[in-house]
Amino acid sequence: MIGVYRELEGTMRLAAHVLRRFWVLRLPPVAEEFVRQIYFTGASATATIVIRGALVGTLIIAYVIEVLNADVSLAVKILLWVVLREIGPLIAAVLVIQRSGTAVATELALMKISGELASLRHMRIDPQDYLAVPRVLGIALANMALTVYVQFIAVGGGMVLSAVIVNTSLGEMAGSFFLLASPLDLVYSIAKSLLFGAAIGVIACYYGLNPPGNSINAVPKAAISAVTQATMAVMLLNILFAYLVYGSALFGLFTAAQ
Amino acid sequence: MSAAAEVALGYEPLAQGAGGEGRLWIAAGGSHVVPAVSALFKSVLLSAVLELKPRKDARLVVLGAEVGALPPRERAGLRAQMAFLPANGGLLSNLNAWENIALPVGYHTPARLAGLAPEVYAMLEQFGADPRSLLARLPEEMTLYERKLAGYVRMRLGRPRLVLAEDPGAGLGAGERARAGEFAGAYLADCPDGTFIQLEDGPDESG
Repeated sequence: MIGVYRELEGTMRLAAHVLRRFWVLRLPPVAEEFVRQIYFTGASATATIVIRGALVGTLIIAYVIEVLNADVSLAVKILLWVVLREIGPLIAAVLVIQRSGTAVATELALMKISGELASLRHMRIDPQDYLAVPRVLGIALANMALTVYVQFIAVGGGMVLSAVIVNTSLGEMAGSFFLLASPLDLVYSIAKSLLFGAAIGVIACYYGLNPPGNSINAVPKAAISAVTQATMAVMLLNILFAYLVYGSALFGLFTAAQ
Repeated sequence: MSAAAEVALGYEPLAQGAGGEGRLWIAAGGSHVVPAVSALFKSVLLSAVLELKPRKDARLVVLGAEVGALPPRERAGLRAQMAFLPANGGLLSNLNAWENIALPVGYHTPARLAGLAPEVYAMLEQFGADPRSLLARLPEEMTLYERKLAGYVRMRLGRPRLVLAEDPGAGLGAGERARAGEFAGAYLADCPDGTFIQLEDGPDESG
């Protein structure tokens, strides 16, 4: 229990440090780390996103139309609610946890064990400034970009593929989509994905900078902790967002049923 | 007790057994070799000096200042005048030699970055390295001498007044060892009022 509290406190402290010291991004070496992180988390992950996004979109539309026997309007509505608001940010977050969460935790834990963090301190460079700030902000920004990309591919690709697989017209689906979609959906998912990305970055950096020991065995342990805790954090944040958006409506349903 | 003025580095335990068996008192200026430093004393000394946090039962003097009596802000100012050169160069494995060398300058004094390359080239050539080939390589692609040299160049760019170095020649062949032996002289030619302290390893304690 004390360990859990300590980890939670450490993660919060690191998050506060990143918020307090984000200006270090103007320093050239930190800016380089930031750009590298965006490239690694965002740009190099886009290829894997395409297939997953298009498949999810197709699956949802095909399932709703064929299995639930719904009309195009309802199918697009579900696509909008599920993909744009929920699945898009979640898919991007899971992908970022798998790729960047593990990579960051492993890299930082290895740096700690091999004495590279001590080298940074000898140069009077705060490892949290140089390593954590650009990684957390880079992952947050890249996760947001990936989320928008997933949404675009899942919705667009889903509608295109569904027009081929299921007996509906692409124009009809696109028309329903633009009728139902609101800019607020995009704002909501962007806010969510930024927070997901920041949480993943902070947790991965925390476990990387604080591996459980100084032997090589501590490296996979740090990566495992980062992945499990980041997944948990993303789920909890998702619930929190769902409560903030749908909470009062759900509460209304619950009281009405009573 | 010895006087603190004109002292580059002074460390003495105030009680018997505090901080290992060691005591060190080095005058400011020039190059000094501290022979046969035990691993324990080296660890205690480096930890106290690099963090400027002496143990309560030990006295630490750095560049004429009694560290125990200094407020935190002045300690930070004092720390900025010191550098440590580890035996392996202390490079970061995911940065190439140029990025490693330029890192502290880019972090502490970014304005200097623009004119840094000629300075780095000159220093590397002075010690027989080809800058064009060396600077693009990662530490894992460099020899031990090249890693030490990159760490040394990085240290010199900071123009510290006090350098603590682990034996620069450790682990090198005769030719490279001779070149690494010139590190202190080249630093002092650049910083005439500086002090270069070389800590040589004691007998192997691993048994």
